[in-house]
Parts: sequence; C-alpha cells; structure tokens
Amino acid sequence: MHGLVPYLYIAPAFAVTIVFSFVSMGISFWASLHHYDAFAGAAEFAGLGNYRRALFADDSYFWLSLKNTAIYSAMSVVGVLLTALPLAILCQKARRYQALFRTLYFLPSITPGVVLALVFYHIFGVWGQLLDNAWTSLPALALLGVWSGAGYNMVIFLAGLTEIPRDFYEAAEIDGAGRWHQFRHITIPLLRNTLVFVMVMTIISSFQVFTSVYIMTQGGPERSTEVIAYTIFINAFAVAGQMGYASALAWLLFAVVFVFVFIQMRVFRSRRIYDE
Amino acid sequence: MRSTRIPLALLGLLVLVAVLLRAGLTRAFVDDLFSNEIPRPIQLRVWDWWSPAGNEEYGQYFDAIEKTFEAQNPDIDIVYQIVPFGNYVQKLSTALVGSTPPDVFQSSVYWAEGFHQRGMLRPLDDLLALNAAAPPPERVTEEMFLPSAWQHNQAADGTVFGVPQIIDAQCLLWNLDILAEAAAADEEIRALFARHEDGSIDYQHLRFDAVTDWEHFRRITRKLTRRAADGTVEQAGFVINAYGGGAGMFSPWLAANGGRYQDAAGTRALFGEAAGIEAMRFMGRLYWQDKVCPPFRRQISDSELFQERKVACMVAGTWSGKDIIRNTLGWDHFAKTAFPPGPQGTGQKTVTWGNMLVVTRRCENVEAAWRYIQFVCSLEGNMLRSKILGYNGPRRDFYDTEQWQKAMAERPYLSNVKQICLVGDKLRHTEIIAVNHQVNPVIETLLLRFPEIEAGTGPHASVSAALKEAERNANGVFRRYNEQVARWLAAREQN
Repeated sequence: MHGLVPYLYIAPAFAVTIVFSFVSMGISFWASLHHYDAFAGAAEFAGLGNYRRALFADDSYFWLSLKNTAIYSAMSVVGVLLTALPLAILCQKARRYQALFRTLYFLPSITPGVVLALVFYHIFGVWGQLLDNAWTSLPALALLGVWSGAGYNMVIFLAGLTEIPRDFYEAAEIDGAGRWHQFRHITIPLLRNTLVFVMVMTIISSFQVFTSVYIMTQGGPERSTEVIAYTIFINAFAVAGQMGYASALAWLLFAVVFVFVFIQMRVFRSRRIYDE
Repeated sequence: MRSTRIPLALLGLLVLVAVLLRAGLTRAFVDDLFSNEIPRPIQLRVWDWWSPAGNEEYGQYFDAIEKTFEAQNPDIDIVYQIVPFGNYVQKLSTALVGSTPPDVFQSSVYWAEGFHQRGMLRPLDDLLALNAAAPPPERVTEEMFLPSAWQHNQAADGTVFGVPQIIDAQCLLWNLDILAEAAAADEEIRALFARHEDGSIDYQHLRFDAVTDWEHFRRITRKLTRRAADGTVEQAGFVINAYGGGAGMFSPWLAANGGRYQDAAGTRALFGEAAGIEAMRFMGRLYWQDKVCPPFRRQISDSELFQERKVACMVAGTWSGKDIIRNTLGWDHFAKTAFPPGPQGTGQKTVTWGNMLVVTRRCENVEAAWRYIQFVCSLEGNMLRSKILGYNGPRRDFYDTEQWQKAMAERPYLSNVKQICLVGDKLRHTEIIAVNHQVNPVIETLLLRFPEIEAGTGPHASVSAALKEAERNANGVFRRYNEQVARWLAAREQN
C-alpha cells in the first residue's frame, strides 16, 4: 500500500495532463485524418488527404507560412541570445538595484500579448511604418517577440550564471585571461545547458507565434507575416468544416518543431566540462 | 463547541455555493430575488453583438425594445445576451450543440447562409405565410422590404431563414466643406450640388447621380487634391486603404462596372472577369497615376483622415454619419452618393447587405420568437432603431414616415440613403472569411505594387493574371465548402 502513495499524489496532475494534453492530441490526430466539423459533428474519413492538400495543393499556404515562421524563429533566437545574455551579465555585475533591473526587464514577459501587440502597433506606425512594408513587417514582429521574451530569458541566464563557480574566473584571471577569454572559455561552455534550454524554448514559442500577427498584421502585407499558427487558426475557426485540415497543419508543425529540437539537442548535447 | 463549528461552517459554505450556482452570478437572478413582479411563463433568449459596452445607445435601444415588447406581450420575458462579433460563430455554434442555445439572434450576412446550410436555423416560410394577412405596418413579408434588403435571407431554393432588421450599403462620402470651397471657382464641381427651387445652389445636398462615370470621378478627385510644394498630398481627393480595406472597396466599384463577385449559388467566383479587371485598374490608377490619395498607411484609417478633413471623398457605409458627428463633436457637412458607373456599368451602383433576425432550430417557443421578430422588424421596430440608433430601415414604408422626413431635414446627409440602398447588388455571401483569406492579399499586392505589375515586372504577370489566380483560389474555397454542405445534408438525412 505504501508503494502506491507517491502515485496517488501525482495521479491528479497526471490525469489532467492525460486528458488535456494527450487525449486532445489524439483527438486532433484523429481529426487530421477526417473531414471534420467540430460543431456539426459529421466526419468522413479522409486518410492522408488533409496532409496531401497541405503539402501539395496550389492554394495551400503551408510552405509559405512555414518559411515565414522559420525566418521569424531565426530572428527571435538570435535576437533573444543577443539581448538576454548581455542583459543577464550586466544585471549580475550590478551591485545596486539588481532586483529592480530584474523586475523591470521581466515585466514585458508578464504583460498580456494583446496589450503589447496593440502598443507596438502604434509604436511601429509612428516610427516609420514598419508594418506597411513586406520586407520590414516580419522583422518588426520579431523585434516585439524579442523585446517581450528578453526579460524572461535573462532571468534564466542569470540563474545559469550564478551557478558558475567564481573560482574558475579567479584562476583564469591569475593565468592572465582577459574578459573576452573568460567569457569565451568559461561562461559560454558552462552555460551550455542553459543556452540549449533557452534556444529550445525560444524556437518552440516562436513557432507558435500568433497574437502579434493576429492583432497587428493579419498575415499581411502581401502574406509576408502569414505564420503557420495564423494559417491554422483561420482554417480551424473561420472556415466551415476545415478543422481536419487545420489539425493536419498542426501536426505538420509539430513534426517540424520536433525535428528542429531533436537536431538541436543532438548538436548541443550536454557534456561534462572542465571537471574530469 | 469546536466539534460543531466545523460542520456548521461547511454547511454554510455548501449553502453559499448552492446559491451562487443557482444564481449563475447573474444580475437577473438578484433582480428576481427582490422583484415583486409575477414571473412570466416564457423566457425568450435573444443574442446580439450590438454591445452597450461599446456604445451606450445600444443599451437604450434594447431597453426600449424590451419595455415596449414586454408591455404588448405580458407572457414573454426577453433575456438579452451580448456576444462579441468576433466570437459570434464559435459561441453560437457551441451553444447550438449545448444546452442553452438562443431562441432568436441577430445574424450577420457573413454567417447566415452558413448557419442555414448547417441546419441550425428554422425556416420561416410557414410563419411568413401566416403573417401575410397582418396589417401593413406589422407585416414582415417580402413586399414590405426594399428588394436590396431581401437578398441575403434566403437560400438558393427560396427557403427564407431570416427577416432583415437593418440595411447597410457602401457609399461614397463627400466632404461638403471641401466641395463648396472648390465649387466657388469650378463649374464642374458646382454642378455636383443639388439646386433649390429658385435655382440657387443647395450646399447641403449632392445630387444622387452627381458623378456621372469613372472618368468624371477621376477628374473631380484630381481637382480636389491639393499638393504642397514638394509634391506631397496635403488634401486628398480620395482615399484608398490597401491593407485589407482595399479589398472591401473593390466590391462596390466592381458592382458599378456591371460585375459580380460570385454567382448566386456560391459555386463560382466572377470577379476576375473583364469588369473586375477594369475596376482593379481604375483603383490602381487613382492612386498611382492620378495620385489623388494619401500614402497607403496601415495604422491610419480612411475615416480618421476624413474626420480630420484631409480627404474630400472616402468609401463608407450608409450607417456612418452618426459616428462621424460624434467623433468630430458635431460636424455634419458631408453627403453620400452611390458609386458612378464604370465603362461596363449601367447606372449608379453599390453593394448592400441586410443583417437579419433568425430563429434557431432548437428554439423551444417558436410562436414567442416569431412575435419578437414581427415586432422588431415591424414599422414600429424600424422607427425605434431610427430614433435611438439613427439607422435607416430596410422597410419601404419606413421612408414614407414623418419621422424619416424630419430626420432628413435635420441631417441632410441622409437624403440619398434610400436611393443608395435601392441600387445595391448583393454583397458576396458564401464563406466570406475564407474567401477573403484567399483574395484580399492578392488585391493588397495589386494596389501596393500596381506600377510593377502593369509593367510586367511585379509578383504577378498582370492584373488579369493576379485576379484569375485569386479567382481560382476562391473557387477552391467554394468547392470545398459545397462538399462540406453535402456532408452536412447527408448527416442530417441519416439522423
């Protein structure tokens, strides 16, 4: 009986996860194989028809939206790394008001996406019509994504930085290593796991970008910001009887993100560093 | 002592939870609790998106309808539920398969045909037949409505599923201050105005057919455009919004050129034919060749520019006057006309739509629901909407009332509204959101990159090729939608 107690403790959370994650994923996969209308309830087996349509039909925007999403994701990852890590290092070095800086930078992460999107919609309008041009609209959205995600990732980096023993830096300093070499040979290698975590989470969240597109551009101009989550939304909720097709798009998105993350995990696989 | 406290506290908590659950935390329940009124036997659930939260006049309107209707029908209690327009379809579809569907709701033309094809609406033909003998002001049959209002409420087989409660039309909205100033030195602009009986110019009214054709429109907008020394437009003759809005503007220009967006059965797009290509090139030339428009800006709406008096003419709706007066703190020196005919058009035209009241298939008291619809869509209901909301009505007899004549005298911009509504073609109606998703980005590209496309160096080989591609994609939407309709029908027959 005692052996069962831990399982009983985790049972409620496990049940919630099963019902709201895995069962709904299963329903979504089943829907992707059918012509499915969520409200009318009628369903007809479509086999791989929805996947075929997403991948090969002339009027499918899967590839275009995947390309836009990938570009957005690349800009987000680079942007987050170039802002969150320096911010974390600066924050760590701040002797006074560190908590204040942490709070200020973290604030955008807890501000609702709709509010941020509305504020930036007007900022971009005043600053030179970034959303009016097909070349600048996607980078503008990525800028918003980086700005709103930098604070959260800064906190993660900050936690990683405080885990690095001071002895390493002191020893390096005695050996004559400058700031750059310390950063290159101590900070970066010992932050590897944090870096991988931040990159994986940024890729996953950027592949799901939706709110800013929906509020600010509706996929335009000229489909330059039509990302995959927006395409899924339009088909699922604005077009009658296309829930199956939208589910197929969602599963294709899952496959792409899975492959990306898998490759990334293999490339940046965790290694033991400097303690052998 | 302590042993009794806990069970008592738990019991108290249980009672509180039960009361809250029963109440549904609604104001209606609290009101009922302290009300002396005898409960009415029929509760009629009515859904709408006209929200008092966004415009207090809607609150006044619903209060007036409820008060008048309930006084005339003591057995019915109306319960309004306001649902945001953006969530309407999802919430309604969920409610209709759930346990508390509305009995009656206002349906936009965007969704009405789809709701009918899904089998969610009750056909109204039998009720309309019974209503045919009612006195004219209470009659809600076809002959009581403007033909352009009675277009969206029936299926291809003639089944009527809704009764129009409003009529909307797109129109050209003119700034009369700008026109009057230009008229002082220009006979052609002076000729746009109506005349008083003594022959003098009536600067409050434009003639309904003031603009004779597209070339005339181009000339006038060129004359009304004022540029600074560096060439930037200080006062625009016309405004086109390329970002999504341009696609909406395409429909009335297409209608004015004798074209149709789609066929009546919803099986084929038609906007890529000669009339559509001409309409698209006309819009492109206004912006790029005639340069009568302010630069394309996503963040600045046409109406903002118009209200700032920076634009002489814009595309608006027949309903828009009251909003402009409110936003400009009282400025009402503007007028409305329909769209002048293009080379293939035969007269002034526009597109119209009439949002309607419908009864759900699961309505528990059809007779009460029908009484409500008859009241709201009667002459009395139209007059209430006009009085409180400033809306014109879809009924013919509405325009003969003293109230409407008085409204036109007080607000001269209403003078052409009936004629504009009368020349309206049916707005596109099949799977509008999905069709927009396919077509609007193409129109956006055509407007933004018109010179490149005309020169053959743009992302499309020509205007014609772009519209043909959009048409093909729209046809794909129609084909899939009709397949889905067949599946719904098959499922209903099985049940």
